[in-house]
Amino acid sequence: MPYFDHSATTPIHPIVLHKMNSISEAHFGNPSSIHSSGRKSKAIIESSRRIIADLIHAAPNEIIFTGSGTEANNAVLWSLIFEQNKHVITSSVEHPAILKVLDSIAPFGVTYTKLPVNKFGEVNPTELEKAIQKNTGLISIMMVNNEVGTINPINSLIQVSKSKNIPFHSDSVQALGKTPLSVNDLGADYLSFSGHKFYGPKGVGFLYKKNESKLNPIIIGGGQESQLRAGTENISGIVGLAEAVRLAVQNLDSRILHLEELEATFKSSLSNYCTNVIYNGHPKKHVPGVISASFLNKKSDILLAELDREGIEVSSGSACGSGSVKPSFVLEEMGLPESQNISTIRISFGRSNTMADVNTLVNALAKYTNV
Amino acid sequence: MLWLNTRMSDTIIIGMSGGVDSSVTAKILKDKGYKIECVFMKNWEGDEENCNAEEDYKDALSICDYLDIPLRSVNFSNEYWEKVFQYFIDEYAKGRTPNPDVLCNREVKFKAFLDYALDLGASKIATGHYAQIIETKDGFKLLKGQDQKKDQSYFLYLLGQEALSKSIFPLGNIEKITVRKLAEDSGLINYAKKDSTGVCFIGEQKFFKEFLKKYIPAKPGYIQTIKGKICGEHEGLTYYTMGQRKGLGIGGGHGNIEAPWFVADKDIENNILIVAQGHDNPSLFHQGLNADGIHWIKGSPPHSLENISAKIRYRQADQNCKIVELSFDKCKVEFKKPQFAITPGQSIVFYRGEECIGGAIINNRY
Repeated sequence: MPYFDHSATTPIHPIVLHKMNSISEAHFGNPSSIHSSGRKSKAIIESSRRIIADLIHAAPNEIIFTGSGTEANNAVLWSLIFEQNKHVITSSVEHPAILKVLDSIAPFGVTYTKLPVNKFGEVNPTELEKAIQKNTGLISIMMVNNEVGTINPINSLIQVSKSKNIPFHSDSVQALGKTPLSVNDLGADYLSFSGHKFYGPKGVGFLYKKNESKLNPIIIGGGQESQLRAGTENISGIVGLAEAVRLAVQNLDSRILHLEELEATFKSSLSNYCTNVIYNGHPKKHVPGVISASFLNKKSDILLAELDREGIEVSSGSACGSGSVKPSFVLEEMGLPESQNISTIRISFGRSNTMADVNTLVNALAKYTNV
Repeated sequence: MLWLNTRMSDTIIIGMSGGVDSSVTAKILKDKGYKIECVFMKNWEGDEENCNAEEDYKDALSICDYLDIPLRSVNFSNEYWEKVFQYFIDEYAKGRTPNPDVLCNREVKFKAFLDYALDLGASKIATGHYAQIIETKDGFKLLKGQDQKKDQSYFLYLLGQEALSKSIFPLGNIEKITVRKLAEDSGLINYAKKDSTGVCFIGEQKFFKEFLKKYIPAKPGYIQTIKGKICGEHEGLTYYTMGQRKGLGIGGGHGNIEAPWFVADKDIENNILIVAQGHDNPSLFHQGLNADGIHWIKGSPPHSLENISAKIRYRQADQNCKIVELSFDKCKVEFKKPQFAITPGQSIVFYRGEECIGGAIINNRY
């Protein structure tokens, strides 16, 4: 069954799975215990932390394991309620794991400004600079948009934040494994990541927090993760996460190449059949293999059902919206007319997709969208 | 049964609510070998804590997973808001007691959903309603469900030929008790799930007043007996309905006998609620009514107005009546026996024997 929804989630990599299983079988000790089983578990976690840190050019104590990318975002935003400067600048196309959190912490005095995006989904650094207020305590702007794959001018945005001495966070869950990443070069204060977006396990993610940047914990208990995120560690998940990061970073070039090939083949092949397709997002500055395509006069919910019947899995809007079919607010913010918005599907290729899969997809789209 | 005539190659799309009726509908059609898919409708948007849409969706998903049927979802909250809810609020604001379910069936389930299902490639839709459809040389007819206690034809009287021709009700000739047993025997997790009652977007009856208050400002006033004596205060005419007994707050000292009080009428102009004592009080009964917005299922009035009976509320036994005047969209009806609490805003639904032939909205009574 061809699966083209890798931006929603990815299948677990067999090497990752193997590692997790062997760890689960062999080690159960509580990493906080001082006996041998506990020490072994603790050592495994710390080694995973080092592996991840090395791969993204961070220091080990800058990696905080969490239960998800969403939790990493929450950690950074909730931390603000204990700070003096409670104004946040974000973008209007962030995931609900940013926007809804900001609404939830409003009763604690947190206010925010949502920056608009251009028709490609990019935030303009000049707009960011203009939005900064005396009490701005955080800038949180996503690295890669989940619906259209557009890459934000993240370096320029971080430069603005640095020039004003304001901490910078980026929800980076869609970036790892699809674009080179060195936290050193980047200079952000906080970055959120999620294991299952790059062939790792679900239920585990991590927050990169620059050493000198502050974080007030919101999950309190036994002091795990250097007092920053309590709760007995998900050992096999963390091992799987580290392995998935390793595979993503070490195989980055070949993964990008593969995704670029799939995307190019898809687009050129589809152009032979469909003339009514419009691609959304930035034509160049986008992660490979993520395609937001509008098929005019073909409503996406109907198209999704037709593809689903053929065993072809794509998405429309964001995955969390399933249960209801609504126009995507991201596409709305990018200025798409509603008729185009509700005719948009997202195709996101992954490492196991083949040219034959692309062919299947193109044939199905040709069949159902030429109405 | 009409639905047996559906070709095996046709796709039937089932309106799946996550309840036991639609689940058994899916199970029956699946067992018969039809090509089926389910669609979950979300018709209400917002934070009403009493609206169980999310829990219902989870049930629907589990049932469809268990039966191995694809489930899709669709959001008709805009359609519901514009075509059903606005009307519901407007009617209450006028002091009437509307029935949103009859409109929901016409505008959402058998219009928006039907159109959507056809777009999805279905040739028929199926729902878990307790009613039957037959095709005759005079067109499609709507019959009562075989289970007289569950019969839902009352709620379906606004359907027309187009909707009936594309709908099937597999539960029409089954009793509810059998449906529950079928559900339990087939391992459907929701076999014991409570039937939904009341208005779907409000939930339990006890939240009703609270809910209405959010949309219609309360206008308190006096309660008067039919003889014109003030005997209490009401919170706003909107919150009361004809024949209502509970919640009037009329203490002792009024009237001579220990009989309960009932809402007999509403004086909208003067904002007065009029009550009468004793269930048999003649002022609670009326001989006839005027209704408008008349709809005939076959598309035109019946040739003969003889042998017609009617229900003026769901689950009422058929009442002998005569349509004494009939125009394009209005009618005047006289009952053989006086009727208790005829309620403006509710529907009068006409039957000839087992057949539901149409209905109208009650405007006033005499």
